[in-house]
Amino acid sequence: MSAPATTAHPSGHELEQSKFWIFVQIAMLLAVITGLELVTVYLPFMKWILITALVILSTVKFMFVIFYFMHLRWDRVFCTILFFIGLILAGGTMWALLKLFGAEASTPPYSTAAEPAAMVLRVA
Amino acid sequence: MSSTAAAGTLDHHIDPTTSTGIPNKKLLMWAFLASDCMFFGCLISTHLIYRLHPPPGTPVARQVFSIELTSFSTFILLMSSLMMALAVNAIQKGNLKSLRWSLLTTIFFGCIFLGCQVYEFRNFVYEKHLTITNSILGTTFFTLTGTHGLHVLIGVIWLSAMLIYSFTGRLTEKDSIDVESMGLYWHFVDIVWIVIFTAVYLLEYI
Repeated sequence: MSAPATTAHPSGHELEQSKFWIFVQIAMLLAVITGLELVTVYLPFMKWILITALVILSTVKFMFVIFYFMHLRWDRVFCTILFFIGLILAGGTMWALLKLFGAEASTPPYSTAAEPAAMVLRVA
Repeated sequence: MSSTAAAGTLDHHIDPTTSTGIPNKKLLMWAFLASDCMFFGCLISTHLIYRLHPPPGTPVARQVFSIELTSFSTFILLMSSLMMALAVNAIQKGNLKSLRWSLLTTIFFGCIFLGCQVYEFRNFVYEKHLTITNSILGTTFFTLTGTHGLHVLIGVIWLSAMLIYSFTGRLTEKDSIDVESMGLYWHFVDIVWIVIFTAVYLLEYI
């Protein structure tokens, strides 16, 4: 991240040069975060804390890749909006499906007594 | 968020010939990736839903998965993303030699990732007896990771084609958008894996 000291804005060439080091540093950071994720799953904390930590860590990785490696940071904001429309729709669908199927009423009749009935229903 | 490149230098992020200022190929790729998000979102949801209510007799994922191998695959894919970013950087500077080395390394890392996935699948089927048809875990897992693997394979073929094309002499700095679009696709494959690694693998260890 060699920011030029003499000019307010980097020239095109300087920007491309500095990008090289930005990319290398981000890749190292991503590798470190992956290591942290691995360590996190073995920590003796409550489940919700670990899940929250994992979600935050993977979100940070995700954001670094899309904003730096995929150039969203330097691109027109429309690209960001377009991608986030898909992302929000996907995230919303995932959230809705998980809520729907996570509800108590959605618990499938997996008991041994209910299994033959379910089989009959499937065959019918 | 546009860059402030000095006058006279080629700004690769803005195309004044289009009404949006974004090169059409890039816009197409972003639209495709947005739609692909929904595709993978559904596959990941399906896997997580069936993990909520595993039927009796479902293999224990923790006993089947190999976190060491998956972590190695994740690291390899992250490094391939770095090399892809450097390939885009190289073509934007018109440095073909650097582009070729970066593409070659990305292909190499992509092949290692695919090799790890083939090894993992083989191990699951023959050693752990988890197939796509014998349990709901197998069905959702193989469908999700197999679809991702197919995306990686398409990426490797695309990268190889671009590498060969770079030797024809027709690939110049002006065509950097072609490499950049390919790069967007490759990075997308990487971010999907970031989600899969957490949602499918790591969550099983908590």
